[in-house]
Amino acid sequence: MSRVEKNRLEWAVFGLGLLLVLGVVGFLVWDAALGEDSPPDLAVTLGAPERRGDGWAVPVTVRNRGQETAEGARVEVVLELPDGGREEAGFDLAFAPRGSTREGWVQFLHPPATGRLTGRVTGYEKP
Amino acid sequence: MSRKGRPDGRKRQVSQSLREYARGLAGGLLFSLPLLYTMEVWWAGFTARPPRLLGYFLVGFLLLFAYNRYSGLRRDASWLEVAFEAFEEMGLGLLLSALMLWLLGQIQTDMTMSEIVGKVVVEGVTAAIGISVGSAQLGGSGNGDDDQGMGGGKGEKDEPDTGLAAQIALAACGAILFASNVAPTEEIVMIAAEASRWKVLGLSLISLGLCALVLFHSGFRGSDELIPKKDQGWIAMLSRTAMNYAVALAASAFILWFFGRFTGMSAAACLAQTVVLGVAGALGASAGRLLLQSPSS
Repeated sequence: MSRVEKNRLEWAVFGLGLLLVLGVVGFLVWDAALGEDSPPDLAVTLGAPERRGDGWAVPVTVRNRGQETAEGARVEVVLELPDGGREEAGFDLAFAPRGSTREGWVQFLHPPATGRLTGRVTGYEKP
Repeated sequence: MSRKGRPDGRKRQVSQSLREYARGLAGGLLFSLPLLYTMEVWWAGFTARPPRLLGYFLVGFLLLFAYNRYSGLRRDASWLEVAFEAFEEMGLGLLLSALMLWLLGQIQTDMTMSEIVGKVVVEGVTAAIGISVGSAQLGGSGNGDDDQGMGGGKGEKDEPDTGLAAQIALAACGAILFASNVAPTEEIVMIAAEASRWKVLGLSLISLGLCALVLFHSGFRGSDELIPKKDQGWIAMLSRTAMNYAVALAASAFILWFFGRFTGMSAAACLAQTVVLGVAGALGASAGRLLLQSPSS
């Protein structure tokens, strides 16, 4: 057995390494123990419309409260106008990791303030 | 990090350590850059569940440990020293990959901790092995380090470790290091799905041929010193080749499993993917493995 001899820099790097490795392992164990197996649970929140170019842009926040990642989630926002008309807008989200929040925008031609906006996720894949 | 060839119990200059860390970081980038620039790898950071990430991290750590132990450079080093080095290298690997991912815009403050840790872990394991290889193998001669050359230096020249455990560990390191660069891509799934059975068989024969060629017939650097001499008989040669290929296949299957490529696949499809990736694995387990270990001369 030889003794472990290190200079100060090496001890510092070792300390940091130890801390990081234990931190990562600890976090992963904690994360694994905490998260029960639940499928993706996507919720869509719409923000205040803003005038942009020829139309109106509405910020969309998609939050995945489940414990699994959703891939290719299709976000659809419908604007129902007072005259019975309907305008749809949407986008595809490449990934919604578990517990994460992703943001995007939808564009409308009609002013959203005059009608009723509803947003939802119409489907997604398991990665 | 590697204080290889250094007489025991003597501290090195800080400048020497710095030089070695610099070499290590260059090696880490050299081996992990393809992964850092691949989006499937970023995705794996958040699609993989924590237990799987933990398994990957621990296997990576074990490989790092095995590489440090068996690279044949410091047979005299104690297990404790080897473990200390593994911690240093893993820490640097995690830091390096975190920095790179942040610079590449893949880590942002609004991401969840799980996502960030996942990405850093997936990239960090390869970076750490690269750092270990870099600090051990990229050292040239004549830069004034008394520890460079890594097998020579002031220590007595060690015979390279040619035992079975060392052979398997080094082959696994090489296979993981090389196969992980192509494993996460969609191409592996595609090739495996489209290839006919005969082509899959062909790929497997090519891999075996590559192993045999590199290990025994191509005069590869180190192949004389590092491959046990007693194994030059036909039967022994075949078994050595088969062993390297088996390690390559096992490593390929492990990486594919980690990247979720086996989920919902038939056994035949899994096997085809493993063989397709096994070509890279076989190269790593033979040519890569020889590059990872310094010959004693």
